[in-house]
Amino acid sequence: MSNEATLDAVVAALDVGGTDETVVTSVRVPAALRDAAKALQALGAGPSFNEVLVQGARDRVEALAHRAGLDRHYGAYPELRPSLGSVALALARLDASELADRADLIDQAAAELAATRPTAGADDVLTYAAALLAHEPV
Amino acid sequence: MAASVETVILDAEAADALSSVHHPKHLVALSFVEGLAQRRQRRPSIKVLVPVAVRVEAGWDRSSPAAAIVNRVSGARDVSLTGAAADRAAELRMALDVSVVDATVAEAAESAAQPVVIVTSDVRDMTALAAHVKGDVRVVAI
Repeated sequence: MSNEATLDAVVAALDVGGTDETVVTSVRVPAALRDAAKALQALGAGPSFNEVLVQGARDRVEALAHRAGLDRHYGAYPELRPSLGSVALALARLDASELADRADLIDQAAAELAATRPTAGADDVLTYAAALLAHEPV
Repeated sequence: MAASVETVILDAEAADALSSVHHPKHLVALSFVEGLAQRRQRRPSIKVLVPVAVRVEAGWDRSSPAAAIVNRVSGARDVSLTGAAADRAAELRMALDVSVVDATVAEAAESAAQPVVIVTSDVRDMTALAAHVKGDVRVVAI
């Protein structure tokens, strides 16, 4: 199976959601973690340990699949990878941040961060831009 | 400052934009999902959702090869329309005279982990719905 077909199979499996059949599997987990989860359930403060494991695994696998799907897309269409500044601006808009109206500061932050920290992400840009905003002359 | 988004709901235009590299808003839509994908590496509980009625409106058949791009890049999971959800969507539709699809989007937003942001081209109707439903539901234009 090609990498693309494997990725599509992953996405299709996630789409099945909680309606698919279940399997019993052996997972090694720290005993203290299991005990903590069970104690919380006994207190009425949490779901079963099984639910904790499944939801945690689902969230993580979905996040990994999302990342892999986007990376595959950029591999096929490198010109479509959004700039760091545009991604940060998109997050600012989703968060209803005051930076959503300050594309100039976000672009400045993205440019300065990219020069010094090539691995910086969009949230790093927002943090940097927020500092620039806080130090603007009034 | 508003709280950081926990759930993003895609409307039909957002779904359309993610479906084709030739869509004029493809790059804008990619910026949203790229930002969310970055955050999900640290906070995997953040969700991208698409109500099934939106998929119908957008012609997004997950099993079709034509949907490969949107399936991969959206990171979106379906929101099924249960009987109870349909009741609430019908109530919203009658109250605000909005489309069936818009009502299901609002119902999904109300039921999701909040804050919720609806990414849509129908800002006017969605803003009215967001103001009407319970919880922290916002609207962002694409």
